[in-house]
Amino acid sequence: MSATKVTVRLTVNGKDYVREVEPRYLLADFLRHELHLTGTHIGCEHGVCGACTVLINGKTGRSCLQFAAALDGAEITTVEGIAGDGPLHPVQEAFHEAHALQCGYCTPGFLMTTIEFLGQNPDPDRDEIRQALTNNMCRCTGYLNIIDAVEDAAKRLREGAREA
Amino acid sequence: MKPAAFDYHRPDSLEEACALLAEHGASARVLAGGQSLVPLMNMRILSPAVLIDINRCRELSYLRREDGVIACGALTRQGEAETSDLVAAHLPLMAAAMPHVGVRASRNFGTVCGSLAHADPLAELPSVAAALDARFVIASSRGRREVSAGDFFVSALTNCIEPDEMLAEVRLPVMPATARCAFLEIANRAHGFAVAGVAASIDLDRDGRCTRARLSAMGAGDTTARLAEVEALLEGQRLDDALIGEAGAAATAAAEPAEDVHASADYRAQVIGTLVRKALRQMLNPQGGRG
Amino acid sequence: MKAIEDFTLVGKTILRREDAYLMRGKAQFLDDLPEPKGLIHIAFVLSPYARADILSVDASAAKALPGVIDVLTGRDFAGDIKLFAPVIEIGGYRPVGRPVVAVDRVNFVGEYVAVILAESPYVAQDALDLVDVSYDPLPSVAGIRDAMKPDAPVLHDHLGDNLIFRTAFETEGFADRFAEGDVVLEEEFRLGRVTGVMIEPRGCMACPDPIATNLTLWTPTQIPHIVRTAIADHLDISESVLRVVTPAVGGGFGTKAHVYPDELIVVALARRYGRAVKWVQDRREELLTNAHAREHILKIRIAAKTDGEIRAVHLDVKTNCGAYPNHPYSPTLEATAAVRMMPGPYRIRNYKYDVCSVTTNTAPTGAYRGTGQPSAFLAIEGMMDRIGRRLGLDPADVRRRNVIRPEEFPYVNVVGVRYDTGSYSQSLERGLEMIGYDAFRAAQPKDRLVDGKYRGIGICNYTEVSGTGAPGWRVRGFAKMPGFDSSRVVVEPDGKVTVYISQADAGQGHYTTFAQLAADRLGVDWADVTVVEGDTSKTPYGTGTFASRGSVVGGGTVIRCSEKVGVKIRRLAGYMLNADPERLVLRDGRVFDPDDAARGLTLREVAETAYSMNNLGLPQGEEHGLEATDYYDPPMVTMANGTHVVQVAVDPQDGRIEIERYAVVHDCGRVINPKIVEGQVHGATVQGIGEALMEEIVYDAEGQHLNANLLDYLLPTAMDVPDLELSHIETPSIDTVGGIKGAAEGGLTGAVPALANAVCDALSGLGVNITRVPLRPSFVLEQIRNAQAAGEGRT
Repeated sequence: MSATKVTVRLTVNGKDYVREVEPRYLLADFLRHELHLTGTHIGCEHGVCGACTVLINGKTGRSCLQFAAALDGAEITTVEGIAGDGPLHPVQEAFHEAHALQCGYCTPGFLMTTIEFLGQNPDPDRDEIRQALTNNMCRCTGYLNIIDAVEDAAKRLREGAREA
Repeated sequence: MKPAAFDYHRPDSLEEACALLAEHGASARVLAGGQSLVPLMNMRILSPAVLIDINRCRELSYLRREDGVIACGALTRQGEAETSDLVAAHLPLMAAAMPHVGVRASRNFGTVCGSLAHADPLAELPSVAAALDARFVIASSRGRREVSAGDFFVSALTNCIEPDEMLAEVRLPVMPATARCAFLEIANRAHGFAVAGVAASIDLDRDGRCTRARLSAMGAGDTTARLAEVEALLEGQRLDDALIGEAGAAATAAAEPAEDVHASADYRAQVIGTLVRKALRQMLNPQGGRG
Repeated sequence: MKAIEDFTLVGKTILRREDAYLMRGKAQFLDDLPEPKGLIHIAFVLSPYARADILSVDASAAKALPGVIDVLTGRDFAGDIKLFAPVIEIGGYRPVGRPVVAVDRVNFVGEYVAVILAESPYVAQDALDLVDVSYDPLPSVAGIRDAMKPDAPVLHDHLGDNLIFRTAFETEGFADRFAEGDVVLEEEFRLGRVTGVMIEPRGCMACPDPIATNLTLWTPTQIPHIVRTAIADHLDISESVLRVVTPAVGGGFGTKAHVYPDELIVVALARRYGRAVKWVQDRREELLTNAHAREHILKIRIAAKTDGEIRAVHLDVKTNCGAYPNHPYSPTLEATAAVRMMPGPYRIRNYKYDVCSVTTNTAPTGAYRGTGQPSAFLAIEGMMDRIGRRLGLDPADVRRRNVIRPEEFPYVNVVGVRYDTGSYSQSLERGLEMIGYDAFRAAQPKDRLVDGKYRGIGICNYTEVSGTGAPGWRVRGFAKMPGFDSSRVVVEPDGKVTVYISQADAGQGHYTTFAQLAADRLGVDWADVTVVEGDTSKTPYGTGTFASRGSVVGGGTVIRCSEKVGVKIRRLAGYMLNADPERLVLRDGRVFDPDDAARGLTLREVAETAYSMNNLGLPQGEEHGLEATDYYDPPMVTMANGTHVVQVAVDPQDGRIEIERYAVVHDCGRVINPKIVEGQVHGATVQGIGEALMEEIVYDAEGQHLNANLLDYLLPTAMDVPDLELSHIETPSIDTVGGIKGAAEGGLTGAVPALANAVCDALSGLGVNITRVPLRPSFVLEQIRNAQAAGEGRT
């Protein structure tokens, strides 16, 4: 069994990286320990909890179930890429005002899910929101404030789009 | 949980992938979406020495209608099937099942063929494929062969693919425009891995007689299979309450489910009968039945 | 002292300052911390057997793997680390110590057998596969009743049996009082084993100081000082050289409020190797080895009068300790909690309890949100309904008959716990009103069948223990549990404020709420107050954050400490202004006489005097600096209370339970930040829904853990959560500083019994008796079918 490294080119939050990695190196570990983007968290490593959720070519994916090497050429967005160092994104503002996070460990994953979901469904009802949020698990909040936050974020984004 | 090391190959074509399989055989696994495979690798339940990543085999990414079937290539994502107009129009049973398959993030990357090859008797797509009389196109450097669902699903998490082969395509016969279908599943919470489920499709003639019945259940046994006893009971008959009741009882009687932390065998058997009855009633309802 | 009613920030929803850095991904949890050079990663070889002798450990192949530094076994730690044991002094408890890594014997699946030291986590995992351990499996036992049988395998020879703890209590003349009952009811309730399953698994990292002989342990704990003391005790090192720091903590729920063997191990290894040592568990280890909880059997016998009055209660509780006592609570925590909390909000004067805990070949159990109370209330609230059914009374009326009324406060309950204030009966009434109880009962058919489903209502009227001070811990045998918490409030030379508290946040919003209290007391802008927690070298000693103590004890000490600093501020300002300090107020960052507001000083100006940064000297006898330290030991306990009323529909075709309506009434005394309290109630209630309907750690009879992953241990998702109807009552405590009571656990304590009662009510027409959780559909359908068959058999 060889540990021959593979070259991988990834664009993460708009920045290009070229690295040599073992094929088995999980994307989550690559982001966290190779690029020091530790906002993406690991909760289970079997694809259930969603704490590791990032956007891969615009779609939510479990970074604990992807090999970095297999994503050569992909564009990844992590939680750090939502607002950078600038003002909080409307989704983040909505989470903040709704008290939709407590320990914050699962929150990056929820933010990525919310951004994808509202991009596809800009005016969801609460049941649609609940269904979309099965993409992630939270143990602190009991989800209710997160549902409120997504509802509010949808409104903010619609109003922002009208103003634009 | 970190996976064991492996040799990594990323062929550009099905032919190349098959050549690699011919070379490495049982020590290799095919990586498509990875949503079933990588958890097993992370937990070191499976540690293949060789991983053949087919995500660059663009030729395998298709969902098209041809010769009366919807042909779905090995790289077609579950999410693509979920939003496909072709699937909505011609495979409403699959369209009905898709929202139950995993979650958004797993559907974005998981493939239809990947879920089928995983052969989990509690998964949605294998049952749907069985109920749709799917044909499985298995490729290798020795050529192609096509098998039925009955032959493809051997037992729990076991399919008929040989070590040097891979599932290249699944062919799902276009459902007749008159067909009615229903997909129902039940879990220990509102959304999650099913404890039991039923994928069903029937055709009724002008007199309300069932001309064709296809039913498959999740959790009825250790293998994805059709509910042959129920189908035999229904075909040629008018569906009334009594027959629906009998159909449910037959499904329960024929079931040989597993017992696990989620449910007893008896529960699964009971619930499969209930779901069969519900599915039949739903399909009889003039409003419902088309996905 | 400024009355808390005059606080302007208390009771305000102030949005959390923590949110921005959490949402930007900037917060650093344990595995996010920068890794020191030369870091050693460790991984544990786990026992696959529930009970076995270890014959040999062959690590030669593992050691030969490139990147592996060493592989150590239990013997390699025996010299450095004493047997791991909590300090418990209570009659009926017999101590058991545990090697941090097993030496000759393993006693549960997941027990540590060897330690891999490697250059990376991936290599460490590779090495795990290469360690060859030879075991001689032995007969094992997992269940409580099995462990009590005379022929059961005994885990710890020196005990002679598995009864690690037992105690009893009886009020005078109990038997006679019990005989006065008109009816006797008896029931046995069972709860399944559960655990916290916070989304962040545990881990820890020990970093030797490069210059001095000090060492820093990073660990996501709820009890940093207790961890430090335990490590110092067990490793024979001075607390002065050991610093315990919490990074951001991804949920605690009590599971992270224990001292774990790995914390001792990483410290010992860091000292031995002179290098930083880090360990991060994966989810499987998390579920296998983190403190489990709640596997309880409660047998309750009640003597009641025909009007529903409960004359006497006999409660027998059996709990599952697991293979070893946890640190620092031992199994006595849950056991004593269950029996002491059972009286709840009711006037129960004749009480007898027997409680025991048994060792079994399963993971050690300990604290988890609610600790003993969901069990206690499953029993007593379950009996309220049964008394109603037996006597033909409405279960709400049975509760009304027994509930402690407003005029009875303060009330000392039968085990000596003081209820200073409470809204036990108001909360009950409001919950019933919210759910439309009377209308529901009036319309409810005898067979409970409506539109093809069985529908019922369940009530749980509960008390919630909070803010336990030292006497509260002593009486339960926790000899080394400090009970107090402390704070140090410093006005810096620039007039900003730093508040150091002996607490440890795991998502409860401490950085915001404690700042609210200090800001209010000192009259400064909330944004000018910085809170520092979770660092034993920065904060004074304390107990930590668990058992709903944060707001009570942490809040209490911050209020008192801020007041002490306020006294000095006024004194200095009075000296500087030549004014009477008693007249001066602190507001808007200034100190002034309200009758002469223009003539005042900024807090900064006062601080500059205190720090000798101006030409003014200090008054005679005054010291420099502008700070105070406060140690607050709260009352023995402070009881919060609440009521959950829930309406369910049970589908007789598949046994599934749908929550149709859910009302929560909640009284935690003075509320500091309403939205944060509401968040605690939501979170705890949903954990309760999980525990009632779907969560369970499943062991087979021999101790094999069957569901150590998140596919098989089910947590609620957003689709499992109904919209909760919440109502607050605020009945301030008269015993605590600020009138604050705890808020965090009530949701669980209320949800589990309320849901069980609702399902039981829904199925009572069928004669189904629901006495256990979780209520998986498979179990519920079986009960329904059995009852239907029995019913048919009778006709």
